[in-house]
Amino acid sequence: MIILGIEGTAWNLSASLVEENGVIYEVSSPYLPQTGGIHPRDAAQHFSNNIGQVIGELLSKIEPREIEAIAFSQGPGLGPCLRIVATAARALSVGLRVPLIGVNHCIAHIEVERWKTNLTDPVVLYVSGANSQVLSYWVGRYRILGETLDIGIGNAIDKFARSVGLQHPGGPKVERLAQKSRNYIYMPYVVKGMDFSFSGIMTAAKEALSQESLEDVCYSFQETAFSMLVEVTERALSQTGKSEALLAGGVGANKRIQHMLQIMCEERGAKFFAPRPEYMADNGTMIAYTGMIMLNSGIQTSIEFSGVNPGFRPDEVEVNWITG
Amino acid sequence: MDNRIVTKFKGAEAVVEIYDTVVIKYRRPKGYRVKELDLRLRKERTRSEAKLQSDARKAGVPTPIIFDVDAFSITMERIKGKALKFLLNERICEKAGETLCKLHLAGIAHGDPTTYNMISFEGKVYLIDFGLAYYDNSLEARGVDLHVFFQTLASTHGRFEALKDAFILGYGKHCFDVNEVVDKVTEIKERGRYL
Repeated sequence: MIILGIEGTAWNLSASLVEENGVIYEVSSPYLPQTGGIHPRDAAQHFSNNIGQVIGELLSKIEPREIEAIAFSQGPGLGPCLRIVATAARALSVGLRVPLIGVNHCIAHIEVERWKTNLTDPVVLYVSGANSQVLSYWVGRYRILGETLDIGIGNAIDKFARSVGLQHPGGPKVERLAQKSRNYIYMPYVVKGMDFSFSGIMTAAKEALSQESLEDVCYSFQETAFSMLVEVTERALSQTGKSEALLAGGVGANKRIQHMLQIMCEERGAKFFAPRPEYMADNGTMIAYTGMIMLNSGIQTSIEFSGVNPGFRPDEVEVNWITG
Repeated sequence: MDNRIVTKFKGAEAVVEIYDTVVIKYRRPKGYRVKELDLRLRKERTRSEAKLQSDARKAGVPTPIIFDVDAFSITMERIKGKALKFLLNERICEKAGETLCKLHLAGIAHGDPTTYNMISFEGKVYLIDFGLAYYDNSLEARGVDLHVFFQTLASTHGRFEALKDAFILGYGKHCFDVNEVVDKVTEIKERGRYL
């Protein structure tokens, strides 16, 4: 069974061919803003200009008749980007006369890593530009145990980075600067129950720069914000009684947050899985793979219900491919 | 003090030792966070937890009496009931609503009113674990409390709607602005956004 999946929620236009045994081929065309952050219209323009070539390259790798279904990222994400991808997916589905499957982007992040790590039932810390959530499977759905009350952690770091003139994406640059400091400055630590908030720390970091070095501020920002995320992940492990933790999403590339989760898990005797770089950031493979397991459990999306959903929450999806 | 330990519970944040009549809660160091932040969080939380819990008690909120406090630990009365997590029904949820309202009327937000942190005992619902509590009588703070409670219901209990309604009923007995608080919860929920 071969599934073609297309990811395109924000910055990475990526399409992939997946079969049961693994990935056949993946093509990506990331959007990189010249200045500022991700502009929805520019990103969508980039998608529109490149999707023909991306899909064309993919279709040249196999006999298109072998494709059994088309999966696409239905949300959450930027509306203009999602619509480009959904339009292409519908056209392929109708043209090849194969089923269409709308995939939740957050769930795809989790499923592709469960596939690659052989995890059974983890607590997931999902951290990217726009998303920051702690999730875990319980009775037919991925439940959101904790999440940001305002902006995503990646967005908070990127915004701070932009304010000091670092080019998008700021995350990796802030990480490198943070590695040069061991001088911790206090920053607002906001955990409310199982939820967290990052807008206050972003503002505090900008203000701290009038007195402190950029390296110290980057270091303290990361230490504080990541501690908040790790604390909630630990609380989720404790509450659910689960013993595996999984890190997903683009911010998962940060070595410091990986290390912090590792220590937390060691201290409480849980297993931790660091993500594989190629599946951490947005990618077409995760959509194709999740489409495959959804199709195998009888889920398809008719054209009428294939509209994009920019605010698509992972707990809206009925997960019938996990038993127990 | 009775020295026989009944049970020991290792939470995410602290070790809780339960003796026959007292409970000792000790905040453990966390290796994943920098020492400055770790010491600060543990000290601050221990001190503020003790103060908030005793203030709540003075305001008539069912909560354990505090006997002693030092840098990282609190010794308090043992409430010999059962956590709501294990015995939820509409009647108890209503009582939980009454208790949380009483706390809010005292100007305190709990910060973590999950079903693990409520104990049913002698017809009352006791609030424990004031580790994340803070002084704030704003709609926002109260809304976040209700949001946290509803989330634990939604994520771990099947009959979510009925239990939620019972809680709101209890909360509204003395907190007459209950509708405004519930509206706030909706707003807070929608703020947890993706873009």
